[in-house]
Amino acid sequence: MILTLDPHIFIGGVSLVLGLAAGFVMHRSDFCMAGMFRDLFLFKRTVMIKSFALLVLCSMLLFEAARQAGLLSVYPFPLLYPPTAANLMGGLLFGIGMVSAGGCVVGTLYKMGAGSVLSLTAFAGLVFGSGLYAEFHPAWAAFAKSTVLAPDKITIAQMLHVDPLLPVLAVAIPGTLLLLLWHRRGELVRPAFAAGYLQPAKAALALSLIGAFSYVLVGMPLGVTTTFTKIAGFIESVLFPAHFDGLAAFKAVPLNYTHNLTGIVLTGGGAPRFDAQAAFQVPLITGIIAGSAISAALLGELKFYYKVPARQYVLAAAGGTLMGLASRMAPSCNVWHLLGGLPILSASSMLFFLGMLGGAWIGGMLLIKVLGAGPGRTV
Amino acid sequence: METIEFDIRGQICPSSLLVALKEVNSRTERLRQGSVQLCFLTDNRDATITIPESASNMGYGVSVEKKDGYYSIVISGKKD
Repeated sequence: MILTLDPHIFIGGVSLVLGLAAGFVMHRSDFCMAGMFRDLFLFKRTVMIKSFALLVLCSMLLFEAARQAGLLSVYPFPLLYPPTAANLMGGLLFGIGMVSAGGCVVGTLYKMGAGSVLSLTAFAGLVFGSGLYAEFHPAWAAFAKSTVLAPDKITIAQMLHVDPLLPVLAVAIPGTLLLLLWHRRGELVRPAFAAGYLQPAKAALALSLIGAFSYVLVGMPLGVTTTFTKIAGFIESVLFPAHFDGLAAFKAVPLNYTHNLTGIVLTGGGAPRFDAQAAFQVPLITGIIAGSAISAALLGELKFYYKVPARQYVLAAAGGTLMGLASRMAPSCNVWHLLGGLPILSASSMLFFLGMLGGAWIGGMLLIKVLGAGPGRTV
Repeated sequence: METIEFDIRGQICPSSLLVALKEVNSRTERLRQGSVQLCFLTDNRDATITIPESASNMGYGVSVEKKDGYYSIVISGKKD
């Protein structure tokens, strides 16, 4: 089926709806990925991590079903590259950043939508960090290129020269059995007191559907961070136009794919102009913020409290900056790698995940030092 | 019984939880004796799960009540 609609309008409309749904769901369940990994290390809490596993597994099955049905524009999806040491190092810094900021890239957005001034501070840091990366992009890109582990291979299936279905089944079958066991033991349920709370397992199912719709209708799973680069580029081009003109990071156009529903080639990159990346990500970001704000308003919880200890503002700004920087170095963020790359068993996403786990542990330890508290004692 | 109130609205996790744990840990004896209870005001939905869960695991009694746009979490002596 070929649509005659302008693909940018189509993609923008789809992304806005998906963003609204994602923001609403994430606010109701407080589906915070930074918190999941941090609390695993700090407090040995596993319920959210188990919901995250459910999200990855469902996405894996949905993406593979869509591939089998011929619904995907490109497989693997655009902007995934062969694994390099940059994925691991970027993931490590990203993990430290997201735990310090109190939310990952989308966590920051939905918390900001619900009125968190700290997350707004982290958002400013994200934009600043994304712009900062442009200062050393050529050197980092050369490092990434020199540490490629498997040239021209993106997924495990490509490395093993097998159909993607085989490694997917190898992970999905034991994964499903494990999830069923957790479900039977009631380990996917959180006792909750918050009004209108959505259990994280239900949120995971909803988010996997949202991601699958994005992959089928837009051609890519959820992603937001290129827009932060665009915003940084815009600010820099206004404030320091001569310096901006010399930065290669803003000139690259890495996105180039044929959108299967319209048959039109779409391109985009970090430059501050309207392109396919902007058509995809700006409505998605707007939707996540608005969806969360609507959810909070409906519950009477849309309030703005800014009287927070100064060190928490510093942490949010520093964490956001580190996350923005790392999302360019990795390249890409946790949403792209964990909810997109991991479900298709992308090797670069696995490296990012490993690095991010280490970063979340380091970030947790740093928080304990900075905030001066630790796990409680039993009376 | 004395009630000590902490307004941690605006703080996000894990700060809200860590602040609560710090205050609880510094008053273990008085909480155990029942001479004090701690009330945390928070707008962080996650904290309405993590603070009660942690306090309960530590052996304290916990109650959560929704107020106008935020939540009140009260931690008192040993749970029944």
